[in-house]
Amino acid sequence: MKVKILNSEFNEDQIDALREFMNVSIGAATANLANLLDAFGTMHIPEIEICNSNELADKIESTIDLESMYYATKQLFTGKFGGECMFVISEDSARNLGRHLYNITVPSGDEINDAVIELTNILTSTIVSRLTQELSTQVQFFVPSLQFIDANSIIHDEDVAEYSKIIIISTILDFQDQQINGNIYILTKDEAIESLKVLIDKKIEEIYGLLKLNIPTCYWTHLKMVT
Amino acid sequence: MKILVVDDSKIARMGVIKSLKDVQPKAELFQATNGHEAVEIFKKERPDVVFLDLTMPVMDGYEALKKIIEIDKEAQIIIVSADIQSEAKHRVLVAGAKNMYPKPINGEIMMRIFEQDLLL
Amino acid sequence: MILDDKFVVSYWNRWLAINTQISKDEIIGKRLDEFYPDINYKVLYRKIITALTIGTPTFYDANSNAKFIAINRNKVTTSSLKLMQQQVTISPYITSENKVMVSIYDISELFEAKLMIRKEVEKVHKLNNKLEAEKEIIDKNIMIMKTSADGTIIDISTFFCQFFEFDKKDFLGKNVSIFKLADESDAIYKELWKTIQDKKSWNGELKYKTSDGKEKWVQSRVMPILDSNGELYEFSAVYHDITNEKLLAELYITDPLTKLYNRAHFDETISFIVEHQRKADVNFALAIVDIDHFKSINDTYGHQVGDEALVSVAKTLKNSLREDDLIARWGGEEFVIMLKNVTLDEAKVIMEKVRANVQNNKITDSISVSASFGLTKYIIGEGAKEIFKRVDDALYEAKRGGRNRVVVK
Repeated sequence: MKVKILNSEFNEDQIDALREFMNVSIGAATANLANLLDAFGTMHIPEIEICNSNELADKIESTIDLESMYYATKQLFTGKFGGECMFVISEDSARNLGRHLYNITVPSGDEINDAVIELTNILTSTIVSRLTQELSTQVQFFVPSLQFIDANSIIHDEDVAEYSKIIIISTILDFQDQQINGNIYILTKDEAIESLKVLIDKKIEEIYGLLKLNIPTCYWTHLKMVT
Repeated sequence: MKILVVDDSKIARMGVIKSLKDVQPKAELFQATNGHEAVEIFKKERPDVVFLDLTMPVMDGYEALKKIIEIDKEAQIIIVSADIQSEAKHRVLVAGAKNMYPKPINGEIMMRIFEQDLLL
Repeated sequence: MILDDKFVVSYWNRWLAINTQISKDEIIGKRLDEFYPDINYKVLYRKIITALTIGTPTFYDANSNAKFIAINRNKVTTSSLKLMQQQVTISPYITSENKVMVSIYDISELFEAKLMIRKEVEKVHKLNNKLEAEKEIIDKNIMIMKTSADGTIIDISTFFCQFFEFDKKDFLGKNVSIFKLADESDAIYKELWKTIQDKKSWNGELKYKTSDGKEKWVQSRVMPILDSNGELYEFSAVYHDITNEKLLAELYITDPLTKLYNRAHFDETISFIVEHQRKADVNFALAIVDIDHFKSINDTYGHQVGDEALVSVAKTLKNSLREDDLIARWGGEEFVIMLKNVTLDEAKVIMEKVRANVQNNKITDSISVSASFGLTKYIIGEGAKEIFKRVDDALYEAKRGGRNRVVVK
């Protein structure tokens, strides 16, 4: 078997582009959820991190409160850009979501589960669809799985035992007035990272390349960059 | 014409600049990567048009919009944001932006902006 | 099935017809809520709209107890699921007509397996908890140590730590020899090590020290643990504090002044040997030591100096002899010595050396004493009386012959 050595480093332009695509995608998702919840969501700047598979659990745990219980949904998507979309929402937030979505004071366990699944559905399919649209590719979604677990059990070490490079694209879902917030992670690894890089490069070329070709050089002399 | 493009993402700024090339090929362009820089450049250069993003580090677009309008309440500001909630649009229009468009922007939309939204 | 956003059914397949007992002719063109009024249509509507607007499938929670469409399961061999567990996916079908395809997958078998696993996991949890509780009782009440094959401490029970007054973390990774007292004989450790290297368990009494140097006696059982190849892997040791018993027993057999064995113990030992005639025991020489002119030391310097002389001679005897030679205070200014595994000639040489040591040793700066020695060899089969008679005679001769000498009989 041929072992392919993967270069999982991203340059600044690639990271910048990926962050911006994620930003646009989470914007679309926030808007869809805002409609569903009849509320206003505050947008946050997405973060992009590249790590080894054995560091994943720590990275996830560093973004959430370890004392809470969480609903964690994981949804697989495949295609040229494939990976896993994970949504982690605390017990309290999930209950608020159930209340808000079903218009009841005390939602049942089933109702909370369904509300979380529903939110995940909209969130992941909007984000990933939009992201793949920005990257000019298509993906196939799989059934999401839902677990109610403590913060340390979201990622099982033995589940990611096999060494991989992982990209974590993460951001926060934040509906302050309704006290609903959660963490969204798009995880992709190994070959999928390579495909992602190719897709990003194509996109960068599309935007930057045209500029270089069609804009007279004198135009550029006027460009000022303040740092 | 002086045009200021404000976005923390380089590719997003390039996207705006690209769509400007047919509509305003001779414009003098300035770039800023956050609200704070945007306000500083605005004070110094008094650009005719500002394209402003909302989610940015240091100072976000809402704050920058407020500050620029304080400097010049006639400032021609177009918000270009990933935030496409109608509530967000409502907020920036109240704060004095001329209009708001979802990212990414293309040449066609840019044409419409200069034809319909801006008072130049 | 295919539905629109008003829940009107436009397709109903054979699987549904068979499982619901509703034929497609009955339901097509009608609204689903006429047949299934219990479905939460607000939720269904939202899912349909989401699927249509985003253009991707939406799902129901596969673990939900609320069934989309209740379908009886006629499985007889198990009763865990009465109704079919369903995975319901709503995919956009004809977006312009607001039509979606609702697919129902039977995931009952999967769900049953999941339930079973959960039950098993709960059982394991319970067992684990019980084990943990028992482990805690053991940890808090029994002294246990686990070491690697080279004697490096891997684990120590809480009770062990409390007993020896130290922090567990200070001792993990250290060698078990840290518990050994500096003046303690190596012999017993050699025996212990040899036994467990032979992959056998060792039982015995060990003298260990606490963090501040207090001596503790522990009844110990050290067990080798073998790996799957039968090679030494770890040692596990269980200890029981016998310090008090040990002190009592020692008190019982010790002469309080000289700390040597007392006469009773020596008598007992020699009686045992004579009675059992074990080959390992009977090859010994017996010596009686009598301090010369002891009465005049007492008279001249007082009883305190007399006692000091006794203690000092006892110490000299002990230091001049081997570990396993038996020394006891016989009474007054007399000591008795059993030299093990020696010929009479060897014993004579040893006793001459001891005699010289006694003579050269100073009790105080200005006082030293000498002693007379009677020495004999045990003759196999003879009684205690006979050998004592012989050794007494020898001592008598030594005294009569001018003291400060060894006489052999």
